[in-house]
Amino acid sequence: MHTVAAAVFAVSGTAVLTCTATGQEPRLPVPAADFGPPASAGPAPSARPVRAAEAVAVPPPVAVTVPRAGLNAPVTPVGVRKDGSADVPANPAFAGWYRHGPAPGAPRGSATLMGHVDSRTGGLGEFARLADVALGDRAVVRRAGAPPVTYRIVRRVTVDRDRLPASAFARGGPPVLTLITCAPPYRPESGGYRRNLVVTAVPDPG
Amino acid sequence: MMNLRTSAAVVSTSVCALALMTAPALAAENDRATVSVLHAVPGLTVDVFANGDELLPDFRPGTLSAPQSLPAGSYDLKVFRDGEGPRGTPAVQKKIDVPAGANATVVAHLSADGKPQLDAFVNDTAKVPAGKARLTVRHVAAAPPVDVRAAGTPVFKDLANPREASADVAPGTLKADVVLAGTDTVALGPADLKLEEGTSTVVYAWGSAADKNLALKVQSLKDLHSAPSGVHAGFGPDSGNDSRTWPGFAAGAALLGLAGVVAVRRSAARGRA
Repeated sequence: MHTVAAAVFAVSGTAVLTCTATGQEPRLPVPAADFGPPASAGPAPSARPVRAAEAVAVPPPVAVTVPRAGLNAPVTPVGVRKDGSADVPANPAFAGWYRHGPAPGAPRGSATLMGHVDSRTGGLGEFARLADVALGDRAVVRRAGAPPVTYRIVRRVTVDRDRLPASAFARGGPPVLTLITCAPPYRPESGGYRRNLVVTAVPDPG
Repeated sequence: MMNLRTSAAVVSTSVCALALMTAPALAAENDRATVSVLHAVPGLTVDVFANGDELLPDFRPGTLSAPQSLPAGSYDLKVFRDGEGPRGTPAVQKKIDVPAGANATVVAHLSADGKPQLDAFVNDTAKVPAGKARLTVRHVAAAPPVDVRAAGTPVFKDLANPREASADVAPGTLKADVVLAGTDTVALGPADLKLEEGTSTVVYAWGSAADKNLALKVQSLKDLHSAPSGVHAGFGPDSGNDSRTWPGFAAGAALLGLAGVVAVRRSAARGRA
């Protein structure tokens, strides 16, 4: 394991040097390497999806926190934009919960929260702090009229934005919390950020 | 305003309706098909026989059978008045080809001029776009062509027996009614239709206008949802005056991604050793 850690550190160091060499100083937190199993854009798990009746019975989320990373965002329900992409609240302090999928605390599938990495005025979005999350960090989702749900972060992947893992919006399979934001590179001529940062967490009863 | 995907889908009344309308891709699935049966002939309890075997005994008007998995193939369907089969004269009879992988609803119903008939409708099990619900209306009533309205606005126009029309629409509760085509004369409804995201709701208008027993029957197809096409969660460094240096971050992220791959590969190699 020492070898691996050293390799990661070495490359991180190179990255910082590269940034410095350009004469520009990055103000965004540079993320540590992704962790957990790599992303695969395959079909969603074939387990029975959550029925609407069950989904309705689970109260909606109102806020999400990752205390160690300093992330704290109110949550609002969102749907789908005209272009078929998931809606994201314009206010980068907020996260959107994909209301057509399972809610946090549902027995099956992915409860998906999405937030902007930055703001229109160039500031950072609350979900930019996903760059700081580490394996094992706790994520807590507060809900309307129900106890909070606590998760443990098990995975972070950076994927091309058209290659989101199928698990990100799964309606069946084991219950997970999926947190999504954007990641560089930024290509204004082809619609903005080219990649997504996807963090996966599993329920943590302890 | 509703976003209509299709106008009117054709439903063939030929014996090979199913064969014509099924995509070849479905055929490879397996040798079975999913078939439901709807009894939409008022006032007649029946027994349904397929190839001489009783498929549905004591089948009452307005009943939709649960989907059954049947071997693909050709079925000689006979519908008898309760207790008169299988050697008597069927009330209605038809040969229907059911290809492998198909999902279909066979409907015993009245023609526009009130004669019992059998038709097979292929159920569209294609995925519904994210954030949408599929609505299909099938006219199987002894009645003239109709318009189907949502909150008073025509959604499907001039739908005649035995045709269907379908569209992917915003999910939610729809107040729907059925009017004689081109008029405001309400033939049926209004009724609240609950359209769930990622599902298909098939509504049958059945019965007889002359006998004043027109009714709606709803069939639901679940688990047709799709994931959104993506998550666009950034405005970009050009959106403000802040001179944040994203290229450096990008380079770092790319290299770190590479490092991650190396790390995973090494762990995997170690795991094998």
